[in-house]
Amino acid sequence: MSAARASGSRWRLRAAQLRAFAVRYAGRADGMIGLVVLVFFGILALAPELFVGPLETATRASAHAFDAPSAQHLFGADDLGRDILNRTVHGARISMTIGLMATVITLVFGVVLGLVAGYSGGMVDNLLMRVADFFLVLPTFVLALILAPVLIEVVGADAEVMGIRATLLVIIVVIGITSWAATARIIRSQTLSLKERMFVDRARVVGVGPGRIILRHILPNVMNLIVANAVLTFASAVLTETTLSFIGLGDPFQPSWGQILNGAQDSGAAGLGAWWVIAPPAVSVVLVILAFTLMGNALDDLLNPKSRVRR
Amino acid sequence: MSARYLGQRLLQAIVTIAAIVLLNFLLFRLMPGSPERILLRNPNLSQQVVEATRARWGLDKPLIPDQLVSYIGSTLEGDLGYSFKFRGQPVTSVIADRVGPTLLLVGLGELISAIVGIAIGAYAGWRRGGLVDRVGSGVSLVLYSMPYFVIGMPLIVIFAAGLGWFPTSGMTSVGGGDRPFPDNIIDLARHLALPLATVSLGLIGQYSILMRSSIIETRSEDYITTARAKGLRDGRVLRAHAFPNAMLPMVTLIAINLGYVIGGAITAEIVFSWPGLGTLTVTALQARDYPVLQGIFLLVAVSVVVANLAADIIYGMLDPRVRR
Amino acid sequence: MTAEIRGRRQWPLPKQADPSAPLLKVENLQTHFQLGRGWVKAVDGVSFGLDDGEALGLVGESGCGKTTTALSLVRLLPSNGKIRGGSVELFGIDLVPKTDRQLDRYRWREISIVFQGAMNALNPVVQVRRQIAEPVQYRLNQSESASLKRADELLDMVGIPSRRLGAYPHELSGGMRQRAMIAMALACDPAIVIGDEPTTALDAMVQAQILVLLEQLRRDLGLSLILITHDLSVVAETCDRVLVMYAGRVAEEGPVSRVFTEPRHPYTRKLLGAFPNIRSDRRTLETIPGEPPDLVNPPAGCRFAPRCAQAMPVCSGTPPPEVSFDDGVRVACHLFGTTA
Repeated sequence: MSAARASGSRWRLRAAQLRAFAVRYAGRADGMIGLVVLVFFGILALAPELFVGPLETATRASAHAFDAPSAQHLFGADDLGRDILNRTVHGARISMTIGLMATVITLVFGVVLGLVAGYSGGMVDNLLMRVADFFLVLPTFVLALILAPVLIEVVGADAEVMGIRATLLVIIVVIGITSWAATARIIRSQTLSLKERMFVDRARVVGVGPGRIILRHILPNVMNLIVANAVLTFASAVLTETTLSFIGLGDPFQPSWGQILNGAQDSGAAGLGAWWVIAPPAVSVVLVILAFTLMGNALDDLLNPKSRVRR
Repeated sequence: MSARYLGQRLLQAIVTIAAIVLLNFLLFRLMPGSPERILLRNPNLSQQVVEATRARWGLDKPLIPDQLVSYIGSTLEGDLGYSFKFRGQPVTSVIADRVGPTLLLVGLGELISAIVGIAIGAYAGWRRGGLVDRVGSGVSLVLYSMPYFVIGMPLIVIFAAGLGWFPTSGMTSVGGGDRPFPDNIIDLARHLALPLATVSLGLIGQYSILMRSSIIETRSEDYITTARAKGLRDGRVLRAHAFPNAMLPMVTLIAINLGYVIGGAITAEIVFSWPGLGTLTVTALQARDYPVLQGIFLLVAVSVVVANLAADIIYGMLDPRVRR
Repeated sequence: MTAEIRGRRQWPLPKQADPSAPLLKVENLQTHFQLGRGWVKAVDGVSFGLDDGEALGLVGESGCGKTTTALSLVRLLPSNGKIRGGSVELFGIDLVPKTDRQLDRYRWREISIVFQGAMNALNPVVQVRRQIAEPVQYRLNQSESASLKRADELLDMVGIPSRRLGAYPHELSGGMRQRAMIAMALACDPAIVIGDEPTTALDAMVQAQILVLLEQLRRDLGLSLILITHDLSVVAETCDRVLVMYAGRVAEEGPVSRVFTEPRHPYTRKLLGAFPNIRSDRRTLETIPGEPPDLVNPPAGCRFAPRCAQAMPVCSGTPPPEVSFDDGVRVACHLFGTTA
């Protein structure tokens, strides 16, 4: 059999598996609701300009302070007269982008360390898992609170790295540092059991190097877990970002949902009864986190071999 | 519980605390630039105090071992340095002033949410698919997705700004704490109501979701079939057989959460300007008051480790299988 | 015998009971499980009776429906299980139409169960003696102290030393746990005890001790016993009658002495052949080729036909009728026609 044909049939197999999975996923009401909500916010995040003006209009006043919702400003205005609808829609982009990048960092750290620990075993495994346990016990949110200003101090608040403002970057990195451990643990335990399987043994006997074994034989088989874990990580990343921004570690020029709520808090919007400043970003945050949680649970049920054993 | 089990857990806790102290030390000293830039950049300190602190911390000596040794020494003595923000007060006393309100708020919140959450979760899991399960699980999931401030701000809009039933912020009215009993308690209760509701609602979701799945898992155990075979009433099977076993993982969660009480509901405190550790954290953060931040981190981290230890010990006492 | 044994009862028969009715009469029992693709016909038309003081062995391969049959008597089925036909008459009272609440009256007080694997069947966080006292306290409305006293007597009766009274399940050995399970089953002095593979998880010595204990208790207390097992030697030693099940149906039923010496159903013969017998000469063990049928869509005729070496054309089309012989044996097989 030629290599081309082999890889062709492998692709057909993968496609068939994917289709079967899509059918099973479509049968999950919770997962589908989550997906629909997420697609909606995904579109908002990808193209906010389709719905409202460019970012500058969200950071500039266009109404009077605390204007109530009206035909012109559907969701009213905040203490500086900025349009809430506008800010919330743009907030989707910032919140989701930070959530996504933090998830990527978390997964890269977690997956790489989990694979290495699980595959190499012995001292390396022991050491890495001790560190992971330490991070699991640490009150990570308080650590994030301390790390963020320290890092901002180090890089400087106005610096830009690859076009991303340093404050946002710091939030991304801090979320990554404080949440990789859970992913690493999950991936490690799966790697451990995969390592003992026949096909890995066969590859080892034939003389395939460890890096290649991990990439070609183990990684594809932990992909399920990574996907399910990614969705849940995303939910907690969005939550952490929102909270950090709410506390005032966000970037005032980049209105994320947490940032909008931070403004509402500082201006005392709640005490003034200006519910329209609070409701749009708050509902958005809850919907997105809820959607991710629903999807994550559905995926976990379908993909995680351990949780599939149920009555 | 064997001495070995206990000793193992104790050793683990001590190692973790040592690692936390080390992390706390390195975090503020390995940064680029002089450590004084961050540690002593305090306009409220006289040159004299700065010199004295430098000497005591040995900032002019090598990082390891001299600085580390003196850092550990002063930490053990309870000397966490001086606050920038609070006019050079010792960090220990700044933090101590704020522990009480936080314990009151989050401790009560834990209690209420644990009782309510466990009751809802147990019933929902036992009658899986029933009305309580559908409604309760839905509400729990939504609450679980809500950070404290997202719960607290609407509560203010409705019950403080709208209906005017409760004050919007603080722990006492002006002079309210000095009024004669019981007026001072009533004043405190009125201020406590909304923050407490926020913290409780925020935690109920977590407890009820875990309790539900724990009960569902327990329900399929053989000893539940045995209890049913005995012809016991459904309620008796739940109370005497399913519940005690399903509570085992809950005990761990509650104990661990108690550790987070200290660091607890930072954003809930902010929303209601509750004068606890949460607001202190943010005040310190805004002032870049690193000694206070470090102190809070140390306190929270140590209490979490201690709570974990307590969870292991309580679990060992409740589950006879670990008790040996 | 019947009157004598019923006279030993510590409490009167249930109000609706007919004193002259047989202890247990199961007719055409059908217990099915709902699965995504249809109903699994785990028990499909099983009939048998049980007399006072009698021990009946239920045997067959795993998955043949023997445990489901026994648990159907007190309807201890998983949530997807349902009795879809037939009757279970205890003292002439049909238990099938009873509600769960009504059935609670009969559970443990009339029919109790010794489960297999006492480690899982006992609650790990409750002292064993409290678990034994529980049915006494809650079913017989005894005081807590009286219940505990009864529990201690029972533990003594099954040979658990009094210094182990405060033990938790994990603190007892496997054999001890099974003894405690038996003590628990006896707590309300039931008419029938069902033993669901009570000795399977134990090693040979302990197994023998438990069987001796059961046998002795049965004689002393006048119990009736339904013993579920795949170990034919256990049945040979302890039971009066044996019921051989295959794929949810009765294959053969009769006195142990007859069925084991002169098996009539081809499946019974294979089953006896597949079982090692240390007393007989060295024989190669027989195996039965093939697998039991899918019980969602079972074969139309005899369910054993696809694996039967003596299958005839009629076997695959028509279910075999049950034929009764003079020696008390009942066989469902076309080999024996319709008349005996």
